[in-house]
Amino acid sequence: MITAGIDMGAKNVKVVVLRDGEVIGRAMKAAGFEAAETARQVLEAALKEAGVTRSAVQKLVATGAGREDAPDQDSNLTEVGCVSRAATHLVPEVRTVIDVGAEEGRAIRCGDHGKVVDFAINEKCAAGSGAFTEAMARALEVSIDELGPLSLKSTKAIPMNAQCAVFAESEVVSMIHSNVAKPDMARSVHDAIASRIISMVRKVGYTPPLMLVGGLARNVGFVDSLKRGLEIDDLHIPDNPEFCAALGAALAAAADA
Amino acid sequence: MFERFSQIRKERHDYARAWKERTGGKVLGYFCTYVPEEILYAADVLPVRILGSHEPQDVTEPHIFGMFCPFCRDCLAQGLKGRFEYLDGLMIAQSCLHIRQAYTSWEKHRPVEFSHYLCMPHKVKSPRARTFLTGELETFKTAVEKWTGIEITDERLHEGIAVMNKSRDLMHRLYDARRSDPPRLTGTEALEVVLANQMADKREHSELLEATLERLPDREVPERASGTRLLMVGSEDDDMAFFEMVERVGGTIVTDDHCTGTRYFWNKVETNGEPLLRAIANRYCDRPPCPTKDWEARDRIEHVLKLGRDWDCKGAIVIQQKFCDPHELDIPATKKALEDAGFPVLILEFDVTVPVGQFQIRVEAFLEMLGADDLF
Amino acid sequence: MSEIPTYPTEPLRCWDKAKELRRRYYERYRDIKDEGGLRWAGGAWSLGAVPAGLGRDVASITSEPYAASIAFNKELSIQCMEAAEKKGFARDLCSYMRTYWGSLILDKYAFGGPFPKPDFIWQDHICCSHAKWYQVVTDIETDIPFFSVDVAAGPAHEINDNKIDYLVGQMLDGIEWLEKITGRTYDDELLIEACKNEFRATSVWAEICSLNKAMPAPLDEKSMFSLYVLGTLEKHAASVADFYEELRDEVKDRVDRGVAAVKHERCRLISDTQPPWGFLKVFRYLEQFGAVSVGSLYTFGLIGLFEIKPDGTWGPRTTPMDAGVDLSSREKVLRAYAEWNLHKPEWQHFYSPHLKSEMMIRMCKEWNVDGVMLHYNRGCEGLTLGIAENRLALIEAGYPVLPFEGNMGDEREFDLAKTMDRMDSFMETLSLKKVASA
Repeated sequence: MITAGIDMGAKNVKVVVLRDGEVIGRAMKAAGFEAAETARQVLEAALKEAGVTRSAVQKLVATGAGREDAPDQDSNLTEVGCVSRAATHLVPEVRTVIDVGAEEGRAIRCGDHGKVVDFAINEKCAAGSGAFTEAMARALEVSIDELGPLSLKSTKAIPMNAQCAVFAESEVVSMIHSNVAKPDMARSVHDAIASRIISMVRKVGYTPPLMLVGGLARNVGFVDSLKRGLEIDDLHIPDNPEFCAALGAALAAAADA
Repeated sequence: MFERFSQIRKERHDYARAWKERTGGKVLGYFCTYVPEEILYAADVLPVRILGSHEPQDVTEPHIFGMFCPFCRDCLAQGLKGRFEYLDGLMIAQSCLHIRQAYTSWEKHRPVEFSHYLCMPHKVKSPRARTFLTGELETFKTAVEKWTGIEITDERLHEGIAVMNKSRDLMHRLYDARRSDPPRLTGTEALEVVLANQMADKREHSELLEATLERLPDREVPERASGTRLLMVGSEDDDMAFFEMVERVGGTIVTDDHCTGTRYFWNKVETNGEPLLRAIANRYCDRPPCPTKDWEARDRIEHVLKLGRDWDCKGAIVIQQKFCDPHELDIPATKKALEDAGFPVLILEFDVTVPVGQFQIRVEAFLEMLGADDLF
Repeated sequence: MSEIPTYPTEPLRCWDKAKELRRRYYERYRDIKDEGGLRWAGGAWSLGAVPAGLGRDVASITSEPYAASIAFNKELSIQCMEAAEKKGFARDLCSYMRTYWGSLILDKYAFGGPFPKPDFIWQDHICCSHAKWYQVVTDIETDIPFFSVDVAAGPAHEINDNKIDYLVGQMLDGIEWLEKITGRTYDDELLIEACKNEFRATSVWAEICSLNKAMPAPLDEKSMFSLYVLGTLEKHAASVADFYEELRDEVKDRVDRGVAAVKHERCRLISDTQPPWGFLKVFRYLEQFGAVSVGSLYTFGLIGLFEIKPDGTWGPRTTPMDAGVDLSSREKVLRAYAEWNLHKPEWQHFYSPHLKSEMMIRMCKEWNVDGVMLHYNRGCEGLTLGIAENRLALIEAGYPVLPFEGNMGDEREFDLAKTMDRMDSFMETLSLKKVASA
């Protein structure tokens, strides 16, 4: 059976094509202003990679902030459910999932088969999402890909207040003027985001094993801060972490069809 | 000259643990300066003020909603992180809403042997409040007796009152030494003394302070004491880094109205032949009010203006703890009154850490403005 | 939840009367001076029976419901809040306060014309903002006499004579003050009458809330908002007490006949804190899933008074009249009045959130609740106090909880799309899909 999942994310649209539980096609593109049109293009690209036509897809489930606008869908589900489902599909023992995307950070506690037990989503504060790292990368004048490795070179922690992204940003500016070393500032930024995320994890109650998904999982600096903050050595990061929600949607489609 | 005070503040937990070991006594942590320490000293208990540690933290989110002030969350974090695990008792006197949550969450999740919520009345300007508070103090006193096994006699109460009053007298003398031009000590140094006062055994603190006061007149005044004379107005402020910055860039804080400052020690218990608990109740009703208790009339403003005049201040810095409603409610009227009375005002919003760099820009601009006033 | 139930529904017969009572209340406040009457402003929790002793021609305006009314008018709401912010008041202050001050500053009455100035202010004080609210009002309109009663005397289970004396003493002082500033002679008979009305109104409201234990629920919370509000306007008025008795009879009838508020009720929720007034559609949204909010401690306990009945469950508090309490003098009735109010459910969490958690868990059990929605209301520090601990306790007791941030009065702080998204996730965790015909 072939199904597809579309994640209409705040920044990027992601599609996963699944056959009998195996991913056979994957594509991603910046959503832009014409999200529905982008979704069509991304679906087409993923189908092409999978080597199947649209008609071969038995069911298509949409998720993400813009899920209502996903074209050609059979139904839609929230990211929380999809991410939880995907995480436990990949690693059945996982009980806590952290999903940090461009706009939202989520902490999910799941039970068997990905049933969502509780969830928390960051509220009104960009410091718990990917957008914050982008703002900080600009302030530090490095690319977003360089930010993570740069922070691993840090030799000391400089606590930064992460209640509010605006406050935090002005603290970075202060640090720049106090000649704080760039790696230390980069680390400070990641510590601040991790702290915000960990607050949410504590809200739902941290139960190992933990999986980290979403775009920010590729940021080695953030991963390091997260491990230190939670005092853990290990956590699961799947390949293609930004495709988790789409994978979950495709799995949900298969379960339902 | 103030190193010992500073040490007490920095090593507050070691201090309390050492006190416990030395005396075998009980330590009680409290939130809010409306707590009647007289009664605690009367029962040989060491009351210590719980303040935050000015570090960002991730442990209070499950317990206190983020829209409540950073201070109350910082205080709770200390409890959740086990930094006060030597406490035998925990209490709060009813004042503002936010800090109550630090108490109620701490009490549930890090329970202690003794805990008490004292219903400090809000309508302190009504004579009914004194009677009410006296009754509540009776209940409190009985609870403390039960906890400590000590009967709190009138004699012991006199002793507790004497300890507190002596400390207050000495604190006044310290602040009086800041009236001169230049003041005999900086605001940072004074803050060390006030904070240590809230964390140490007052008997020891008074001894130390008395000795310090003796040496003050002959002391070579630090250069930082010659800056522009400033009044600090706010909720609670123990942000050393901020005080240091202000005094590094040309200001000198000479007095204040906040609860880690004069509001803590301003007036004494006057016994005047009154029953002692009544006299204590009167003291707490009469003291400079926290904004939550300054109504229907605004008496706090007159008190603040008098501080500004008596300490010859040139301007005021208003420290607004983020999200603190009572102070936000007072600020427009206070700002207007200060400005009308000739004290320019700088308002800054605080969190547990402050962007020192950004604040420095504002403080420097403010000082420049005050300096320019002098020229014209 | 495989079968989708279908229940008969009917609109409430006394709905229009409720609307009419509310309209007349605001008109009376505006027009009473034309007949030589008096009008006062104060909070919804003000001990309103006391000024009633000044005469039958005394009207009031309670601040919170008035501000909530403005919240429905998004344009006026923003104008009011911006006017307050221009005067230097911070945005995180209680949104009701900012709205109310704005209405005064702009001199715009939400029900038409300029803001009718009160003759005096009669306020209560339990949260930090209460008395300060009107202190700021007197900064704006400097010649209005102002008296506030401190009711923060402690939780119900610790009531003693000292606490009652405190409230009674202040009320006695208040009566003297009222006589002085109005020049009128106080009438204790009117006070006693007003207190009895309030005992009756608040007890009967609790009875109505208790009837919602029935399955299906005869009332949904969104509708209850339009009904409980009358108690927040004038719970000491005979018209409100009489109306609640009429409403109670109608609700009893609905229970007897199995009439539901929501046709496909299959999931019962309770909420908490004031709802985001500008976005009550979220309650209608839930109905699409067959989910209904059957109430909240807020809707029940803001004005309702409860007690534990002989069978161990919550029910309406027995009025002092029915309990045979002597109410024949000023002092006696004021004592009963103080004690009655100190038992208010919504006053308990001010002393400890754990007291509220207990009540909420009881509600979940007795009202057959499947989940809880907690409005982390940035607009009201008093009612949102301790809400995080309530969440922990409810989860520990086994109830799914959906927290969502918002503001009851400041729509700039409420994200409808994100909230609906969270509700979708919550419905998923409760295994509920939208009902096709809902």
